[in-house]
Amino acid sequence: MLTSSALLLCHHGTEGAALAETLAYEIAVPGRTSIVHCLIVPELWAGMQGDDWLNNASTRDAFAHYVEQLLEKDAKRALAAVEARCAGRGLAYKAVVRFGDPAECAVAIAAEEKTDLAVIGPPRPKDMLGLRSRMDLDRLAYGLNCPLLIAARQ
Amino acid sequence: MIYTKKSPALLIIGMLMLVWGFLNNSGGVDGMQSWLQQSAYSDHMKTKEKFDAELRVATEMAVAESKPAPVMKMPASKFDHAKTEQANLSYIIGGFFAALGLLILVWTPQEGDFDYYLSIVPGMAFIVGIACLVRWGLDPVFANWGKAAQPALGWNFATIFNLNYVVLGIVIGILTVNVFSIPGWAANGVRTARFFLKTGVILLGALYSAAELAQLGALSVVLIGIFVLGSVGLVLYMGRRMDAGNSMTGILSAGVGVCGVSAAVAAAPVVQAKAVEIAYTIGTILVWGVGCMFLFPTVGHLLGMGPVQFGAWAGTGILNSAQVAGAALAFDPHGIETLKVAEIFNITRVLFLPIIVVWLAAWYVKHEVGAEKVNLKQVLVAKFPVFVLGFIGMFALSSMGAFSPAGHYQGKYFSSSEIKEDKLLKPKETRLLEGELAKMQNPAETAALKDLIANRKLTSRDQDGLLLSAGKIAGLDPLAKAVLDKANKAAWHNSKTIGAFRNWLAWLFSIGLIGLGMQITGKALKQAGGKPLIIGGIVGTLKAVGSLIVVLLFVREFV
Repeated sequence: MLTSSALLLCHHGTEGAALAETLAYEIAVPGRTSIVHCLIVPELWAGMQGDDWLNNASTRDAFAHYVEQLLEKDAKRALAAVEARCAGRGLAYKAVVRFGDPAECAVAIAAEEKTDLAVIGPPRPKDMLGLRSRMDLDRLAYGLNCPLLIAARQ
Repeated sequence: MIYTKKSPALLIIGMLMLVWGFLNNSGGVDGMQSWLQQSAYSDHMKTKEKFDAELRVATEMAVAESKPAPVMKMPASKFDHAKTEQANLSYIIGGFFAALGLLILVWTPQEGDFDYYLSIVPGMAFIVGIACLVRWGLDPVFANWGKAAQPALGWNFATIFNLNYVVLGIVIGILTVNVFSIPGWAANGVRTARFFLKTGVILLGALYSAAELAQLGALSVVLIGIFVLGSVGLVLYMGRRMDAGNSMTGILSAGVGVCGVSAAVAAAPVVQAKAVEIAYTIGTILVWGVGCMFLFPTVGHLLGMGPVQFGAWAGTGILNSAQVAGAALAFDPHGIETLKVAEIFNITRVLFLPIIVVWLAAWYVKHEVGAEKVNLKQVLVAKFPVFVLGFIGMFALSSMGAFSPAGHYQGKYFSSSEIKEDKLLKPKETRLLEGELAKMQNPAETAALKDLIANRKLTSRDQDGLLLSAGKIAGLDPLAKAVLDKANKAAWHNSKTIGAFRNWLAWLFSIGLIGLGMQITGKALKQAGGKPLIIGGIVGTLKAVGSLIVVLLFVREFV
């Protein structure tokens, strides 16, 4: 049976992430497994900072502040939900939030936190709406130094 | 926080520029320059031949009269001027960069304003360096290649695809950020691109006459009014019909309707757009903006549009205002008439922005349950584009004669009887124009050309506008084009200050547009999708095609 003492869960509130979370709970053992919740704010947001040339500084700052607040709120909501569910299952929980390329960040967090298993959701179907920021599976598979588990699509 | 990054990059850029300045000054790159600047070099050789002949005659006469050989100095040719300009600019800017680059290497940065402002310079140097490379290198290289391939292809690919310094600069900017990524030492400075663009627009204010501004302003208010209000209304209608959500519809209508990303950014907090909606909208607008920037100039050339028509079309039909300047300069890279028209439309759009944001705020509050009310007065003040005041200030100074002689903008030789003979067209030039009468596109152009032939000078502003358009007719004898250009210059006779402004404007927009290209990321473009792409696509196409039809039907090619 597959077990893990430090499980990297890549989860940013999407439907696929929910499937990964379910799979992680099937593997995790209360009192023994620690869930490392990896939440990545994709780097595409760096290109959406309201840096357009016509805006004045106050409009740009207001927009940047607004976007930051939105992303922060979304992240906090996702973190709080997973943390509560982990607590309900008696699983130790740690959140790590990063900004950048999803695969690159996941690999780095796995190495830093010395996780022994990584769980991610299935790729989003092409017809499903959402941010175009896919996890680069090649980069992830080559970069991780622990087994990688991808939840099945339902 | 310390912003300045220890890197030799700025020093290297500065040193490279100094070396380039030296090579130009010493004649070390004359061979390369003679190939790059073929037209100027041909002028140089003619000037040299004439000078050599004069010197030979003067020397022979002096020898015959037993006098010492005369000392004569060859007059500077266009080629010499171009090299001197490159050398001087390289010395000034390169010296500045090298000095600050050295400072970055030896100074231990401390938190504060100086650190912040110093951290900007390497990035500025990065885009300035690219601008020099593009304007002095790639632009003439592609122009030469286009001419060289013309006999084989039957058409000039550099002209058709607008491979000039504007398009090449933007492409290099896009490639830099998406393929190589912006180096860390430059990241802070490349964001100053908007400063160059805004400065360019402010400076542009000095180049309008009151009549131009009044006529273009009125035209832009009518066209922008119809198409902005029309497209905002259409997106609001389609968004509700397609059940796209109020906040999504609100932000999209601002972006598609007014001035693209700027408007989406201004409207997002007001309509409480969600993160994914912002991403979709900005992605959609960028895809359309970038596509139009490359497509519009080619269509404009194919349809034989003049500066007023194209400027009006680009200023109305291109979704994102940032790409309007790019398209205008790509269409007409060596003159600024099109840019002048397009920027008036841009300014009108941005002046519409606060009004549209207020409209959207009211619309959102009306349609969204639980939406927070916004302070409309505060929105109007906060969204006002302050740089427009700079534009108006420059226009006022220019109108008062601060930069050019009084009467400069009146078209001195339109109706004046006091005109020097050497400013009038020569008989052989009028005969040349007579041979081109059949090529005119419409009776108005034919009448304008006949009038020019009869009077040997332009007699009205309208005639000038018509013949500017006629000068772009495909198949027109290049010598005839030169004669039309001469007639135009005789009427307008630019002052040196205004000439310098034009040169600086080209640099400012060139640098700004390279930086703008660096803000177009593939990751942002990829976000285009979903209902915003469908709605944006339909409304964007209607706006581009509709404005093209209106411009072709109703906008005359002069102001």
